[in-house]
Amino acid sequence: MPRFLKEFFTRNGVGIGSLMLGLVLFWTIGLIILPQLSMLDFSFRPNLPPPEVGGPKDVYTLENYKYLIFGPEGGGQAFNAVDLKVFFRTLVAAVCVTVFNLILCYPIAYYLAQSKGNHIRIFALMLIIPYWINEILRAFALRIIFGETGVLNTLLVGSGVFDTPFDFIRNDIALYAGLGYAYILLMIFPIYNVIESLDRNQIEAARDMGASWPMIHRRVVIPYAKPGISSGCTMVFMLSAGALAAPQILGGPSSLWFTQLIYQQFNDNSDWPQGAAYAVVLLVTCILLVLAIMRLFKVNMGDIGK
Amino acid sequence: MKNFSFMRLSLWFYLAIFFAYLLGPLVIMSVTAFNSPGFPRMTPWECLTFEWFGALFSDERILNGIWNSILVGFGTVILSVSMGLAGALMLTQIWPKLRATYYTVIIAPILIPGVVLGISTLVFWDRINRMLGLGADSFLSNGLFLTIIGQSTFIASYCMLVLVARLQRYDIALTEAALDLGATHAQAFRKVLLPFMKPAIASAAVLAFLASFENYNTTTFTFGEYPTLTIELAQKVRYGITPAISALAFIIVVLTVFAALANEANLRRKELVAKARKEATVEELSSGRIRMPGFLSSNWAAVALVVVACATVVVVGTATVYSPQQCIADVQEQKRLETEERINELRRQRDLRRQQQQEAEQGNAAEPNQSQPTGNNSGFGNVFAPSALSGEEEEASEAEEAPSGNNSGFGNVFDPGSLNSGQDN
Repeated sequence: MPRFLKEFFTRNGVGIGSLMLGLVLFWTIGLIILPQLSMLDFSFRPNLPPPEVGGPKDVYTLENYKYLIFGPEGGGQAFNAVDLKVFFRTLVAAVCVTVFNLILCYPIAYYLAQSKGNHIRIFALMLIIPYWINEILRAFALRIIFGETGVLNTLLVGSGVFDTPFDFIRNDIALYAGLGYAYILLMIFPIYNVIESLDRNQIEAARDMGASWPMIHRRVVIPYAKPGISSGCTMVFMLSAGALAAPQILGGPSSLWFTQLIYQQFNDNSDWPQGAAYAVVLLVTCILLVLAIMRLFKVNMGDIGK
Repeated sequence: MKNFSFMRLSLWFYLAIFFAYLLGPLVIMSVTAFNSPGFPRMTPWECLTFEWFGALFSDERILNGIWNSILVGFGTVILSVSMGLAGALMLTQIWPKLRATYYTVIIAPILIPGVVLGISTLVFWDRINRMLGLGADSFLSNGLFLTIIGQSTFIASYCMLVLVARLQRYDIALTEAALDLGATHAQAFRKVLLPFMKPAIASAAVLAFLASFENYNTTTFTFGEYPTLTIELAQKVRYGITPAISALAFIIVVLTVFAALANEANLRRKELVAKARKEATVEELSSGRIRMPGFLSSNWAAVALVVVACATVVVVGTATVYSPQQCIADVQEQKRLETEERINELRRQRDLRRQQQQEAEQGNAAEPNQSQPTGNNSGFGNVFAPSALSGEEEEASEAEEAPSGNNSGFGNVFDPGSLNSGQDN
């Protein structure tokens, strides 16, 4: 038995120690690492009926990835324009949602973190309550509001801004509002946590030196809050790029989200390897994008999740 | 100074918009649960009804979904809290060299999209199932096991974060003291560490249950024969929405508000009690006659809790004596009256116009104005359009005949009094 294992068992006792070790190994290897590797492996295989799995036809192939870029063979098109367009639209829209959330939440987080009093607790409660409501129900609530005969259209037509009801769903406004709505809390809390630990004296000092409010934020608060901001942005970006419920409920009939393509491959086409390949592409692209942006803003991976 | 107050004002304005965006949808959704139209809407308000709650509780699929959600939730809580605790303990003991890698691995599931987690779980356990030579209906490929496993993968990370925060304040000397005094490792764990971790374990369990209850992205790939409430809701919302879903949402909102207020009131009370103890004299403390603050005194959360509880009792009480049938009948009656009123109004207008035209014809008999009758003709179309909405065809046709047949009797037909007497029948 290796020395560190022996130390571990003398420290925790054999019973508790092996239980702990077993649970951790099951979680990290059995639930996190192996399934991801299995999905990666699966995405390189052709779609075969169950009896042929493991047979001579079950070889590694790039077919599924080729399909995303070039489309079906002999399809007559140079590229798989439909799927690629959905893919890039999803990424761009997720970035837009993230930026929108950051702009919306930064002032609130700053205000909540820097002021004291009883009303702050009420605000915190009001922030948390919507987050406890089911994701589907939140999307449903927005659908009631943005629908053709919904509250917003009634108001706008009633007040004479529009003559005819505006189709928020077909124009994807409902979708973006829904995605932004769903992840507000994940943006506010990391920023709030960081700014709360900022010494108010630093801001006072900057003011005494004659800095204007935008200057204080640019030079003092934002550099200090960078870990929180990057943590919030990473979470919101990853979750909105991987969102499935909001696009299904609030998305227009003609516009798809990339996760919906994955869902279709699994449930409608029963082409699991193809769906796995798309999932791998989504995961890898998101991770690379997040890492690139973190390098650009010089933030460490260790700051995430704090 | 003026600049300052302007900033305050814009700040409050911003806060108002922000919280309207945050809470407005929930309020509107809750209100639609009490409106009678079959499509959830707030305007036009028709009639207060509780029938959607009845519809909700007689929906087999929703009830089954709630049951499945609770099953999955309990499994997930047990698995993810124990894995999270083990993971957190391991984080404090692991080799410093391995620490960063280990932390990245156990924090990664939070960032991996739920869809990807669901797919990888499905693919991996399907493969294990096949390797073991089990059929398609074994417990490994049955939805319950897969869903619990898939959800626990990332929920355990949340639990780990909550537990690590508490564990950092744990003094390892406590365990060592227990061991020195002759406790076994299991005893030290159960009697020293676990009681210290209890509050964090409780909040991790609540968090895990809530996260499991509302998860959709992972579950949608793994649920199999155990559709949870979220899955059922998604199916319903995607293929046609009814106010019964609003009713469910309203119940969840009320429960959430209740839980949040109860928690806040409890925290606040503890603070107040601690403050009272701190301010009490030694004599008061030793004699045990310390004056504790009342439950409601200077505790806004407790007051709000009581108010919400009273409101709930009133609403439930109203719902039991309130008859939806009567309400629906009233609405239909009201609708009928409204339509008649509208027709009535339009007729009166037409009557007026007709009279004006007659006067004009009489006055300017020498030079007949062609444009006015054509204008009137287009007006006729509008007059008869609303009648198609209701069962007023006979009257409408009667009205149609009247002008062509007899111009002099025209005024009597459209006398509002005659219509009113008709309504009374």
